[in-house]
Amino acid sequence: MSLVLFISVFLISACGLIYELVAGTLASYLVGDSVFQFSTIIGCYLFSMGIGSALSRYIQRGLVHRFIWIELMIGLIGGFSSAVLFLAFAYTQAFAFLMYFVVTVIGILVGLEIPLLIRIVRGHFDFRDAVAHVLTFDYIGALAASLLFPIVLVPRLGLVRSAMLFGIINAGVALWSTYLFAAQLGARRLLRGVSAVVLAILLGGLLEAKRITAVAEDNIYADEIIFARDTRYQRIVLTRFKDDLRLFLNSHLQFSSRDEYRYHESLVHPGLAAIPAPRRVLVLGGGDGLALREILKYPQIESITLVDLDPEMTRLFRSNPMLTALNHGSFLSPKVHVVNADAFPWIDSDSASFDFIVVDFPDPTNYALGKLYTTAFYRAVARHLSAQGLLVVQSTSPMFARDSFWCIEATLRQAGLQTAPYHVYVPSFGEWGFIIASLRDYSMPKSLPPGLRFLSVPTLPALFQFPPDMAHMPMPPNTLNDQVLVRAYDRDWKDISH
Amino acid sequence: MTAKGERLLAGSFVNDDFVRGHQIRDRAPLPAMPREERIPLVIVGGGIAGLSAAWRLRNRGFRDFVLLEMNDRAGGNARSGRNEVSAYPWAAHYVPVPGPKAVYVRELFEELGVLRDGVWNERFLCFSPQERLFLYGKWQEGIEPAIGLTRKDREQFQRLEDAFGAFRASGGFTIPVELGLSHSPPDLDKRSFADWLREQRVDSSLVLWYMNYCCRDDYGAMAADTSAWAGVHYFASRAPEEKGPLTWPEGNGWITAQLFDRVGSFVRTGQMVRRIERQGNRYLVLTDTVRYVTDAVIFAAPTFLAPYLVEDFGPLPKFEYSPWLTANLTIDRPPRGAGTIERAWDNVVAHSPTLGYVDATHQTLRSQVDRTVWTFYWALAEGSPAANRALLLRKDWRYWSEAILHDLERVHPDIRSCVSRIDIMRMGHAMVRPVVGAIFDPLRRKLARGEGRLLFANSDASGLSLFEEAQFRGVEAAEKALHRL
Repeated sequence: MSLVLFISVFLISACGLIYELVAGTLASYLVGDSVFQFSTIIGCYLFSMGIGSALSRYIQRGLVHRFIWIELMIGLIGGFSSAVLFLAFAYTQAFAFLMYFVVTVIGILVGLEIPLLIRIVRGHFDFRDAVAHVLTFDYIGALAASLLFPIVLVPRLGLVRSAMLFGIINAGVALWSTYLFAAQLGARRLLRGVSAVVLAILLGGLLEAKRITAVAEDNIYADEIIFARDTRYQRIVLTRFKDDLRLFLNSHLQFSSRDEYRYHESLVHPGLAAIPAPRRVLVLGGGDGLALREILKYPQIESITLVDLDPEMTRLFRSNPMLTALNHGSFLSPKVHVVNADAFPWIDSDSASFDFIVVDFPDPTNYALGKLYTTAFYRAVARHLSAQGLLVVQSTSPMFARDSFWCIEATLRQAGLQTAPYHVYVPSFGEWGFIIASLRDYSMPKSLPPGLRFLSVPTLPALFQFPPDMAHMPMPPNTLNDQVLVRAYDRDWKDISH
Repeated sequence: MTAKGERLLAGSFVNDDFVRGHQIRDRAPLPAMPREERIPLVIVGGGIAGLSAAWRLRNRGFRDFVLLEMNDRAGGNARSGRNEVSAYPWAAHYVPVPGPKAVYVRELFEELGVLRDGVWNERFLCFSPQERLFLYGKWQEGIEPAIGLTRKDREQFQRLEDAFGAFRASGGFTIPVELGLSHSPPDLDKRSFADWLREQRVDSSLVLWYMNYCCRDDYGAMAADTSAWAGVHYFASRAPEEKGPLTWPEGNGWITAQLFDRVGSFVRTGQMVRRIERQGNRYLVLTDTVRYVTDAVIFAAPTFLAPYLVEDFGPLPKFEYSPWLTANLTIDRPPRGAGTIERAWDNVVAHSPTLGYVDATHQTLRSQVDRTVWTFYWALAEGSPAANRALLLRKDWRYWSEAILHDLERVHPDIRSCVSRIDIMRMGHAMVRPVVGAIFDPLRRKLARGEGRLLFANSDASGLSLFEEAQFRGVEAAEKALHRL
């Protein structure tokens, strides 16, 4: 009796701590600021346990009966806590509220457990021994959980399945207790039936955990996060799955290392290779250095100025070995000059002229970014073009955001530029669009730098052909005072996501 | 979850004009022996009307004049300030995209590079998103209520829209007011806008809120204290050709600065006019230090000062003035607002007694802004203007800053932890109020016609306190003065 009983104590204590760790880790992953998350969650949890302990005095009769019900509730709520919070983060605005609510409820229930157990076993032991044994196993359980969680559970099972597993243990303790305390218990059959149902639900959850996370991670990250940092300007997240390295800025995918060459070759070469003797290049955005890598394939280029808002971003891609392997250490080239500045004011105040200008900003998801896609901005950029100069603009997807793509094209034309729109297929993005804009006629390059993996001179003309489902749409230009692009973009992506 | 330590809040009352104004009211003794100066023309008042008169004179090649400004800085209602974060307006903060009838305004904007070859410079047009309204616990784009409308709300909005459309088509509601008055219905001026709305069977509280908001915003008055003609004018006078308005971080202070660049050499600040007397064919304009002997006077200061300054001025037209309070709040970090819609230029809270706030850094080209300045507008429209003026003077800075924070807390619960400074400007007579009968008041129309060589150029002579009216009055007065000299 006694050993079996204390194993129960050990297990439920471990379960309680696991739910707390799951909540803390999940919040740190998703929201960031781990010190804040862990502090507030532990505080909230311990305080709630205090509430539970205080409430335990109101439970006077049917201790074992109530203890089993509490176990089942903890198993169910704790087991699904991780899955529910993941989904809440992906699909609702109420993540923080829900998280503290779940932590509070679990805390209160766990706080009820130990006082009840001590009172249950009081009949079997001397009071002095009962308190000592129960608390000893309680703390050992906590130690076991805290070691198991980072070493085995998170790497092997992940957060959703870890929580489910410990929910099963809670429910298992409940079922087990119906036998252990059979003598003190009425309505055993009902309790066993309910325990079996809870166990079945949790087992189902454990088996379906992959599907639950997949649903949630439609909106978040599918792979292991190897780097995450909140800079002053954005949240930078790097994930890795086998050899695929992915960069997310504010949860928007920027590249996948498997196919980024398609994107960056297409961004740079159709324009740059068409310029007879390019010497000076400007890159706006592109803090990952991948466009730089392509530009550096032209030995005649003398200088490249890269303007990116976020110094953390350029620092990361200059120093992280995994990333410098990807961009071939492009930031280390003596030709490259990095300016960490806001692009629009910078372009307004600078007066240098360039033969080739790459405009590679995040998609126009909000009005602040939308300013970088306006007639006013393109007019300011065009003032920096040399006589033979060209500029290229990353212009979102002509397939998924057809209105947006052609709105950018209309904006460039309104700014007094001639346009040559083209598109490529990038598996991780889908169909992607670019627009070359210039003050004079553009003609396709007759040769390309050696060693390209995607582009070739014979296949180049195909890029400039638009099939009917991506064909030109008449759109108004995007202006500072009427950002039709941001609204079109919002509409376009909403249409395909629902 | 964050600790809400009470931050130290700095700030004070600023630009207290009434200290000088009350010297005029109390008829402080005249200075003893001022120096005499002979000059063909004197402009009194350096707001938009006075500066526009000076701009016109200079552009016409006339340079023998001075502009006397009571304050240490010109600008009047188009004054602005600047701190380490941004420039910001102290009162008027925009000009609606001028229609074809606002010829002088278009001329000025062409000179300033705002209008070029018929195209408005995008950088001076208010950036997206322009306006938002906090209604039913969330933000919506635009100030006219659009979410949660009942069928009744919708039907009444539509009915008014149709009525205003018909008035617009009549051509009687123009900017400048003067140009359309002869074919606009005088009867409308004989009742209040609230009465007119009742006649239109408008009783939706949301529609009435919006109508009252518009009257408070443009006239500092409730619909019940506004002439129906003026209420209709707000909606029927403008059909912009471009999405606007025109605005700058420092509001209309930008225009003031541009005008001042051109005519600053004629402006004498800190010159309080104490008396204007007729002497034969000439006028004497007395300040504390100089006695100007002049052939013509353009009185561009608010006309309510004239009875105290101008000898034998006669009865003042039906002028009532609205008291206002504006505040500039230094915002150190963006508050967490309810809802997900992006911060707009003009931010209004439905059913608040205030007019909300305008973001001074909205017109920035930067894509990231941490600190900003909000200009908070509050027309003290409910109750009598005299009682509200007394309240403005009686209550201290802490009272008003608390009231402002309290109002903002409805939409930004954490506002107190974001603001580091609140400067407050109190204006007892901020703008003329188009009360019932004011527009067709014969005394006003006589004042606006401007006979002789003492010309009244303040926008109050138009009955509406608008930039376009001030500029029109200033330019017209300059033309008349040139003609009559």
